[in-house]
Amino acid sequence: MPVFWIDVINQVLIFAVLAMSLNLLLGYAGQVSVAHAAFAAIGGYAASYLAIKNGVSVPLGFLIGMAGAGLVGLLISLPALLLAEEYVILLTLSVQTIVLVVITSIGALGGLYGLTGLPVVTIFGKELLRPEDWLWPLVIVNLIVFGILSWVGESPFGRILRGIRDDQLATQSLGKDVWVKKVIVFGLTSAVAGLGGALLAYYNGVSSPGLYEFSQSILIVTMVVVGGRGNLLGSVLGAAVVIGAGPFFQKVIDLSPETSSLWRLIAFGVLLIGVLALRPEGLLPEQASLPALLRRLRRRPPVAGTPPLVPAGGATAAQPPPADAPAIVNVEDVRKSFGGIHAVDGLSFELKQGHVTGLIGPNGAGKTTVFNLLTGALTPDDGKVELRDQDITGWPIDRVARSGMVRSFQDVRIFPNLTVLDNVRMAVPGQRGENLRDLFLMPWAVVGGQRKAIAAGREKLEYVGLAEKEGVLAGSLPFGEQKLLALARILAAEADVLLLDEPASGIDAEWVDRMVAIIRNLSREGMTVCIVEHNLHVVERLADHIYFMDGGKIVAAGPMEALVKEEHLVEAYFGQP
Amino acid sequence: MTHQLLATILGIDSVRQVVQAIVSGVVTGAGYGLIGAALALILGVTGRFHFAIGSTYMVTAYLAAVAADIWGLPLIPALLVGLAIGTVFGLLIEALVYHPLASRAGEGALLPVFVGSLGIVIITENVVRLIWGNDTRNLGGFPQHTYNIGNVTFTLLDVTLVVVAIVVLGGLSLILARTILGEQIRAVRGNPLMAQAVGVNVRRIFYVVFALGSIVAGIAALFAGMKFAVEPAMGNEPVFYAFVVAFVAGTRRSPIFVGLVGIGIGLLESISTIWVSENVSALTVFGLLFVALAVRSGPAGLKQLSGALSSVNRQVGRVQRTGGS
Repeated sequence: MPVFWIDVINQVLIFAVLAMSLNLLLGYAGQVSVAHAAFAAIGGYAASYLAIKNGVSVPLGFLIGMAGAGLVGLLISLPALLLAEEYVILLTLSVQTIVLVVITSIGALGGLYGLTGLPVVTIFGKELLRPEDWLWPLVIVNLIVFGILSWVGESPFGRILRGIRDDQLATQSLGKDVWVKKVIVFGLTSAVAGLGGALLAYYNGVSSPGLYEFSQSILIVTMVVVGGRGNLLGSVLGAAVVIGAGPFFQKVIDLSPETSSLWRLIAFGVLLIGVLALRPEGLLPEQASLPALLRRLRRRPPVAGTPPLVPAGGATAAQPPPADAPAIVNVEDVRKSFGGIHAVDGLSFELKQGHVTGLIGPNGAGKTTVFNLLTGALTPDDGKVELRDQDITGWPIDRVARSGMVRSFQDVRIFPNLTVLDNVRMAVPGQRGENLRDLFLMPWAVVGGQRKAIAAGREKLEYVGLAEKEGVLAGSLPFGEQKLLALARILAAEADVLLLDEPASGIDAEWVDRMVAIIRNLSREGMTVCIVEHNLHVVERLADHIYFMDGGKIVAAGPMEALVKEEHLVEAYFGQP
Repeated sequence: MTHQLLATILGIDSVRQVVQAIVSGVVTGAGYGLIGAALALILGVTGRFHFAIGSTYMVTAYLAAVAADIWGLPLIPALLVGLAIGTVFGLLIEALVYHPLASRAGEGALLPVFVGSLGIVIITENVVRLIWGNDTRNLGGFPQHTYNIGNVTFTLLDVTLVVVAIVVLGGLSLILARTILGEQIRAVRGNPLMAQAVGVNVRRIFYVVFALGSIVAGIAALFAGMKFAVEPAMGNEPVFYAFVVAFVAGTRRSPIFVGLVGIGIGLLESISTIWVSENVSALTVFGLLFVALAVRSGPAGLKQLSGALSSVNRQVGRVQRTGGS
């Protein structure tokens, strides 16, 4: 093969390292960074400077460069945690500019010309001088980076990242700590960018600002978006398309030398917009990733027959719950105001073990606010929330969930871009491999843990009758099945207090029956359930005890038969008796 | 004597230097204010991450220069031709790129629109190079007059820019605050669904906003072109300042306020050149953006941060526990 094309392939391989690492940040975790070239610059300059000025060996220089880039990435992530998507773009934009200005204005780093005179890299005594010498080492680096990033991306850690991308609040509500994950993914991907930057410097024999300027960051973002977000192989393809476009137009299409570079850039811009318009998910979409395809091949055959309408264990359904069951959740005089409006105004109630408690009342009575206050999405202005005699007032959302109280959402909030099984198994608590320590120090434990989580997930899917759909994308399910999936997901979180926000609203009668049967069954198995529901027939069929809320207060309590006799309640709810 | 001492401590050579920095800061800042207000309006109302506002900027100034240079128009008609073409160009971006990309992407439209706008920047710059070449062009013909007051110099063009910026941003503020059209724009900015429900044509408002924004950004470009020169990459730097101004000011503020923030940033940048070299002064501006973004999240953000820190502590604790066992 001519040297020209080997050189192109080498450049593609170097940028593939940068694009794959950005993909973990952008495609998996949903954090758009336009500072990836700046992190590469930190790695590249550190590795070059240490080798030239301090005589540090090349591998050590690479490692220090990666560590430096990773550290800066960790620091940048802290303000980024708190910002909305568009502000993260701007924040990284300012980081990109600041890093480049600082590097250019430090005299010791060679200003605009950069650092030259880098030592020659030797591998096993072989000097890497010509492009063909670099080819195989770069292929191996790519395989390693692909392997590590795939391992992270397809692990429980990676699933939490995708949860953050699809719905951060829902991820927290399943008991997952999202903040540390975001910090770590920024640091990890910046370190890998530092590796890419060091490779870029050594391959070019110079570390100069031009290698790492803003437009390079943009090219890397483009590689990820064109190649396919959430698909690492797509990023390699994206790098090939973006880097290879120039040489392709130069060699294959005969253009005059003066205008060829212009045509090439125009064609590139058109390609970019064309891919976005015709294939917004990228050339290799997330569902076509190598691990996803492997999983599909290995998938077990679906269970024959229709799922039972009443789940397993229905035999115990006839027994009523004991009236003297202990109260698991105690709410004491809780208040919450927004501006001058008292959304919840001195609320006290309890949820008993094994009971289904209904919370009903007209629109705006404050029912969903109660759920927000119980789960830590809101902090009460006053009052106390106790879970099993422990004061949990003001705890963060994920901690409440890990303590055994989880909620569902009125608007389901499933993760639309994850499969049904991934939605459920992500929720399984305390999985090995939710942190990098497990992933890198105890990989075998992670493999075993994954198997367990899959088994647990399948069990919950069978429970709600969705076992056959485990490989389907959650976003493509009909609404009724999405509600069942949301229920399976909170069951997988292994909580014993379930707060269900409108579990039966907006779904067909057939699904309502199945939902009622499942909830009834869960309470008979000893779960503490609280439902907010507009459909009074559902409440009547399910609830052992009902609180009627109006204007942020509980105005009546008792079984349904008693409440319907109180005329003023019926009037408040229905307008007319 | 004491003045001298103070000046030495502050690293200032003379009062003249400071006043000159203030004057040029206000002039540059007026330009930042114009393009910043244009971007803030577009971002706030349409939500499009309009990175290609730099292309609108360049097209306006470049085509004005082409109209004067090649088509032989006098200055004022040439400027108007540039503005008209720039406005049409801005509308075409929305119609042909942003709208189709955003409606395909649904909720996650930010990234496709952002990357699409980068594609527009690349295409526009190189199409201009292909047709008219790489050279810079002059947009001459504005009366050359330099004022020199106590050794502080500025030009008639500088004064005109500041006056025009005040008039344009004041006028835009009045349109937004006082007219029915402005009311509709604010309604869409507040809640597009609600605005649609009460009968506002949201698509039309998007186009109106792109037209207004393109004109205001184009005016800044024309002055930059007359002051310096025009060239195909001239929009790349101002767009950064536009984002800084828009986000420091906030995308829901009145244009005149955004303009003042632009002047503040121009001042900050120009005064900082007293102490640091010119290319490092960009650092001040982006440092400010960084701080503004970091502070933006407010108390709610701090609560999340403390939550993050406490969970870091928990993890560290867990590591220590398992490490000890």
